Amino acid sequence: MTPDELLQRLSQTLRKEIGPAIESEYSKTQAFMASVVTQKLGRQVGLERAHERADAAELDALIGDLGGLLEQSPGEDRVAAAIEDIGNSRDKVRLCAVIVALYAARDELGEVKFSALLNRVRLSLRANINRQMEYAA
Amino acid sequence: MTSSPVAAISSEDIRGYLATKLADAEHIELHDVAQIAVGWSHETWLFECHYRESGEPRKLGLCLRRDPGNALLRHLSDLGEQFRVLKCLERTDLPTPKAYWFESDPAILGAPFLVMEKVAGACPSPWGRDGRAYYAGASERGILPGEFTRALATLHTIDWQAAGLEFLGRPEPGTGFAEREIAKWRELIATTEHPPEPILTDLICWLEANIPPCDRVTLVHGAYRTGNLLIDDDRISAVLDWELQVLGDPMYDVAYVLSDLNREGTELLSNLVARDAFFEDYEAATGFVIDEHRCRYYNALYAMRSVAFWMSASDLYATGRSNDIRLARTAWSVPVVLDRAARDLGY
Repeated sequence: MTPDELLQRLSQTLRKEIGPAIESEYSKTQAFMASVVTQKLGRQVGLERAHERADAAELDALIGDLGGLLEQSPGEDRVAAAIEDIGNSRDKVRLCAVIVALYAARDELGEVKFSALLNRVRLSLRANINRQMEYAA
Repeated sequence: MTSSPVAAISSEDIRGYLATKLADAEHIELHDVAQIAVGWSHETWLFECHYRESGEPRKLGLCLRRDPGNALLRHLSDLGEQFRVLKCLERTDLPTPKAYWFESDPAILGAPFLVMEKVAGACPSPWGRDGRAYYAGASERGILPGEFTRALATLHTIDWQAAGLEFLGRPEPGTGFAEREIAKWRELIATTEHPPEPILTDLICWLEANIPPCDRVTLVHGAYRTGNLLIDDDRISAVLDWELQVLGDPMYDVAYVLSDLNREGTELLSNLVARDAFFEDYEAATGFVIDEHRCRYYNALYAMRSVAFWMSASDLYATGRSNDIRLARTAWSVPVVLDRAARDLGY
């Protein structure tokens, strides 16, 4: 049995056997909520490797595309540095710094370039959140 | 079993406290004492206090709320402030519970608490099947929808300076209100151990770049919806949940009413009110024009607030400050709200 299958099994036991056997309202609610948590965790664990691979591929494509969209102009330094940082770290959390840099450099970049760069980032964020919704929804 | 980190309190503890406040009362007895599960911020007990005064029998329905110290909103939800707000609102036309006493000294009942009137009525949850059926029925009967809108209009037209509510802090003119709200939710997010979320960063940057000016300052409830209103025979007997109130843009509350966050499986606002009727009645009662552009902005701000709530809630469980598994479950509410926020931003 894989870890995710075990968690799904635990979730079912909590929901079908443990929860109904509890009389205390508070404890019964806690048991059913534990069932929900183990179910979601099971799905997340089961999808983890596939999602990691997809996230990594997404990040590679994003870094390449952002580099291509950047051209020399005022304000690019901050954005370029943030993109370089994420390229070195391979840490998707550092996308936050890219987003902050984009908004900070909006005037220097101009609306067309700002929108192009931000929309490309958002494309990756949408793909990422769609994956998260596979277990969170 | 309880999620509270502070000592349990008994009926005798409460009775002993009341004896110190009802100086002329004799033979104090508590009846129908029940701890109820409402919200995630404070512990709540309802009971009837029976006593004799000058030989005459008296009865007082009371509600005691205690701050367990690990509340969802923690420092943002202060019982002392709630008490002050309720005292101020007693002087207005808005139906609210009468506030009796507030005690900040944890030596009395283990943690700060307030005692207020137990108002007649029920508070059906709009999130359950029974509650939704109740509001659908009330909508058809036709009295409660108008009550809902009128109470909000009353809240927004209170002379808050005359009522003594200036202590809530008047926002700076222009963009000050939204800036203050963004800063507040940023602060709550910063208290958690959640890793930064890129969609949340995008949302906050967008909010900061698009702040609409606020042209009118009123009392704002902050969570005006069914589920936070006590209802007695299709009338609102009390507006509850005074935890997020501020002085600011009334459109902040209107946006919450218009939000599809607060209805499920129905076009009725807050599961109760037809949109057209709400617009017509609210505008007629307040003289304000509903600004849908500002409401859409505040809807995005609510997404930020929701993420802050869920990050804070799940963090309480993850860091061992609460054992309530409902809080653990909210970790998966964060991506759900971020998904919605991204859609609001157009992706």
